[in-house]
Parts: sequence; C-alpha cells; structure tokens
Amino acid sequence: MEYAVEVENLVKKYGDFTAVRGISFRVRRGEIFAFLGPNGAGKTTTVHVLTTLLKPNGGTAFVAGHDVVREPMEVRRRIGIVFQDPSLDRELTAYENMYIHGRIYGYSGEGLRKKIERLLKFVELWEFKDRPVKFFSGGMQRRLEIARSLLHEPEILFLDEPTIGLDPQTRAHIWEYIRAMKEEQDMTIFLTTHYMDEAEQLADRIAIMDYGRIIAEGTADELKKLVGNDVIYLRMEEPEEGVKCLNADFIRGCKVMPDGRVRLDVQNAGEAVPKLFELAQEKGVRILEVTYHRPTLNDVFLHLTGREIRDEGGEQSTARMIMRARMRRR
Amino acid sequence: MRVFTTMIYREMKRFIRSKARVIGSLINPVIWLVLFGKGWAGAFNFPGASMIFGGVDYMTYLVPGIVAMTVFNMSFIQGITIIWDKQFGFIKEILVAPASRGEAILGRITGGAIMAMIQGVIILALSFFIASGLKLSGVLPALALSFLVGLAVAGMGVAIAMRMSSMEGFQMIMTMIMLPMTFLSGAFYPVKTMPEWMQWLAKVNPLTYAVDGSRYYLAGVSPAFSLRTDWTVLTGLALLFMGIAVVEFRKATID
Ligand SMILES: Nc1ncnc2c1ncn2[C@@H]1O[C@H](COP(=O)(O)OP(=O)(O)OP(=O)(O)O)[C@@H](O)[C@H]1O
Ligand SMILES: [Mg+2]
Repeated sequence: MEYAVEVENLVKKYGDFTAVRGISFRVRRGEIFAFLGPNGAGKTTTVHVLTTLLKPNGGTAFVAGHDVVREPMEVRRRIGIVFQDPSLDRELTAYENMYIHGRIYGYSGEGLRKKIERLLKFVELWEFKDRPVKFFSGGMQRRLEIARSLLHEPEILFLDEPTIGLDPQTRAHIWEYIRAMKEEQDMTIFLTTHYMDEAEQLADRIAIMDYGRIIAEGTADELKKLVGNDVIYLRMEEPEEGVKCLNADFIRGCKVMPDGRVRLDVQNAGEAVPKLFELAQEKGVRILEVTYHRPTLNDVFLHLTGREIRDEGGEQSTARMIMRARMRRR
Repeated sequence: MRVFTTMIYREMKRFIRSKARVIGSLINPVIWLVLFGKGWAGAFNFPGASMIFGGVDYMTYLVPGIVAMTVFNMSFIQGITIIWDKQFGFIKEILVAPASRGEAILGRITGGAIMAMIQGVIILALSFFIASGLKLSGVLPALALSFLVGLAVAGMGVAIAMRMSSMEGFQMIMTMIMLPMTFLSGAFYPVKTMPEWMQWLAKVNPLTYAVDGSRYYLAGVSPAFSLRTDWTVLTGLALLFMGIAVVEFRKATID
C-alpha cells in the first residue's frame, strides 16, 4: 500500500452548511503533508473525518488502507492525533495522562513506564511529570499532547494546528520534535496549519485549502512557481496620481496596496531594483522604502484567491527573506 | 477489561487529587446528620415518638437515609461531570481510541459509583459515633444497595450530561433533580405518611428503594416495600441507566 491517506470527493456538511466541498488528495507513506488554509477553510473538519470522529456526507476516505466509515476501529488502531483544542485531563499529572493513554492502547507494566519516560524526556517534560496538567503552560500542554500521541507508535500522525497560539521559540521547538519524529520513526505526518512558515518549514507537500476546497497542491517550490515572480513593495513620497504604478517593460504587474505601498511583480528583483531607482529619478518620484522578496506561500494564496491568509502571529516577518533598503534624499 | 479498569483508575486518581473538593462535599451530609439530625432527635424525644420511625430513635432512623443520600448525590455529580470531559476535550481522547466506548463509559460510571461509595462509607463510619441503634451486621448489604443506586444515578448523570452542551444547565439540574429526589426518598421522614401524590413520586424515585432497604439492614426498621422489591428495582434501574448511558456515549460525536 503506497498511500497513507487516500481521499476522493470528500464532502462534509454541518446542517445545510457545507464545510468540505468535495476534496480529493493523497498522502504518501513517510511524508509530511500539510493542509494550509485560513480560519474556517475546513481543515479541522477534514481531520475529524479522517480520524473517524465525524461521518462524511459524501466521497470516500481511506486511512492506512482502511475505510474511515466502514472500518473505524482499524483506522483508530493505526493513527495518533493531536487535536487543535486541548484534550488532556487537566486534573491529572503529565505521567498519569500518558499512563492512561498507554493503558487504553493496550500497554502496561515496565514496558509502558519506559516508553513514558523516553517520550517525556523527548519533549523535555520529564522533570514535570508529577505536576497536574492544569499548571502547565500552553506550550507544555502541547508538548505533552505530542508525546501522548506518539506513545502507541501510530503509523500516521495527525497534527491539527500543532503550534497555534504559541510563542515563536516554542513553535520552533515543536518543529524540531516533528522533524525528529519523522526521521526516527519514518512516520507519515498529516499536519494542518494556517501559518505559512510552518507549512514551508515542515511539509514535503502542501495542499492549500480555502472555503472547503483544495485550490492548489504541490511542494512549496511548485506552488511558488504558480506566482512565478519576485515581488517588490515600494513606498514612495507623495506620489502624484498616474505615477503610482510605475510603467516599464520589466514590470509584469502592479497593484496599489491598501496601506499605500505599491506592489510590483518582476522576474528578478535584484536586477529590477536599480532600474526602479533610475525610473523614479526620471519621473521625479522619491522612493522612501523598498522591500522585496521571493514569492511566499502567502503570495501564492493571494495569487489564487485575491485574499491573504490572515496571519495572527507576528512570525510573518521572521519567516520571509526580507531585504530592506531605506533611501532618503537629503 | 483494560479500558474499564483504566477508567476506574482515572476516577480514583481524580478523586485523590481533589481532596479539598472531597472533604468539602462531605460537609453537606455531616451538616444534615449533626445539625438537622440532632435538632429533630431532640424534638422527637417524647414517649411513643419512635412509633413514627418504625420503632427506632430519630438519629438511627436518619442515618441510613443520609448515607444513601450521600452516595446518591456524589455519584450523580461524578456522572454528570463528564460534561467537563466534553468541555476540556478529554472525551476526544476516548472517542478516537481503538477501544470499546461502552466499556469506557461503564468504567467511568463504575469508578464514579465507587468513589461515591467511599464517601458513603466515611459518613456511615462517622454515624456510628452519633447514632446508637445501628447494626454493624447491616453495613455490607446497605452499602451494596447504595452502590446499586450509585451505578443507576451515575449512569443517569452521564446520560443527561451527554445531552448538555455546556455547564450552564448544571446548577438548575442539581436543584431540579437532586433536591426533590432527596426529599421524596423517605430519607428524612416516612414515605407512608406523605400525601398521596408525594408517595406516588417517591415510588418512581430510585433513592427511595435504597433508603428503604438500607434502613432495614442498618436500623432494623421493617421495610415499606419488600426487600426483594428494593433489590430488584435498584438492580433494574442500575442496568437501565447504564444501558442508556452506553447508548448515548456510543453515538457521541464531537461538534
Ligand atoms: N460543529 C459545527 N457546526 C457548524 N459549523 C461548523 C462546525 N464546526 C465547524 N463548522 C464550520 O465549518 C467550517 C470549517 O471549520 P473548520 O473548523 O474545519 O475550519 P478550520 O480550517 O479548521 O479553521 P481554523 O483555522 O479556524 O481551525 C467553518 O466555517 C466553521 O464555522
Ligand atoms: Mg481548525
């Protein structure tokens, strides 16, 4: 069996609202596959269908070779999941949460104890093992949930927004675990996120989801090729009407942003920037700020939908390769 | 069996962890026993008063009722707090596991009933210092009856909680169900001198049968129903409510 997950025309409705509108995709064994999409795209709904918690209204889904509707038990035996929302017993300690999980999945005795120790050490929580979870920070709870999901050595691990709401350091930390997990155990990982950097950093392949549909799928590079351009943002001093969008043959596209900056699509930003300054000088326009970057997944999303993936964290700027040139005429 | 015992283990751990809450919840029956009990015991201290209470003094009459009430209250709370598992998400951990959901929820209910029983045992032990006419030989059968009522009521709590979407209705359910059922059980006064309509309600109240039976075993008061009725009704109700809880939990999804 080559695919860990095979989904065909999957539909899921809540009442008369269709949250997932007929999606099809495949996840290969041993890869990290990411669902990237804004809030409400239908990522969690899809995960819940794939993990047998919700019944689909149409289409088929096979996970680890088993139909999620007809053989839910077979699927459950082979998957692990970290839910988007917490699912720990807050009254119990980290160790007890792990222990109960182990027992439910059929482990016991010294073997279980050793496994718990190894995993709690892996997520650096061993020294807090006897502390009730309600005293844990968000990041610690997340790490514990990751450790717990690994306890029964699932073939396929579902991570629903594994770093949502966490600070950048903790996020980077969790990414390390995810990479380590994949390397060590050769596990298939299905990840959902609305952080572009997360998808880019971790995933072998990415499906971009919006309004219940998959609108693009491929490696990060393949997706970026959809945009095809480098992107330059210019801030100009009091540009007169008409010169807002500079005109030249090397400029493939031009758009005035809501914040007043001008966005230019060019083949090669490195070559275009000097030309832009010449052009501006000719027209008597002062350029105050130039930012350029290679297309990001956000640009891909923008390109495909005309909207941005709303990014709550401030990590956008750390993820992008930004070149800043501040120019001021005296 | 492993899921069943694991869920009992979990209830036990949660019980031990929440010592303050456990001790707090024991205050209620102690107040009934001491303040309410001693108060009325004084008032009913006239010749012939024991005739009202099946031939024993009021304290001895009251104790089996308070013990059953304690187990009843505690197991209902144990059952209905499954809504916290929904709220805090632990329920997803169970629903996604390759384990029998029926077994899991029966473990939860049994664990809840056992923890409630422990509190009942504590109250009963205290009672031996306060009431004079209690029979040690009646302890085991009385507790067994309480356990049955505990299973029934924890099951009822789970079944109700599975239909609730938030903690909002919690307070109301406590007042609407717990309080009337306690007063309609004959724990404080005999069922047979109640008004007709109250007697009718008392008969559909599981707690009534636990009080009736354990009052016979602990105090020697002849039962209002037959002992056989008490055991049969409680066993039946325990099975019924556990069955309903299993059905509800099997079809649980997340929203
Ligand atoms: N239980 C429910 N009842 C009704 N509508 C729901 C329910 N759960 C989700 N939805 C709706 O379905 C759509 C998809 O939700 P879903 O949670 O799958 O999105 P998501 O991509 O995971 O978003 P997020 O980034 O916010 O987690 C949303 O519009 C949401 O409002
Ligand atoms: Mg989601």
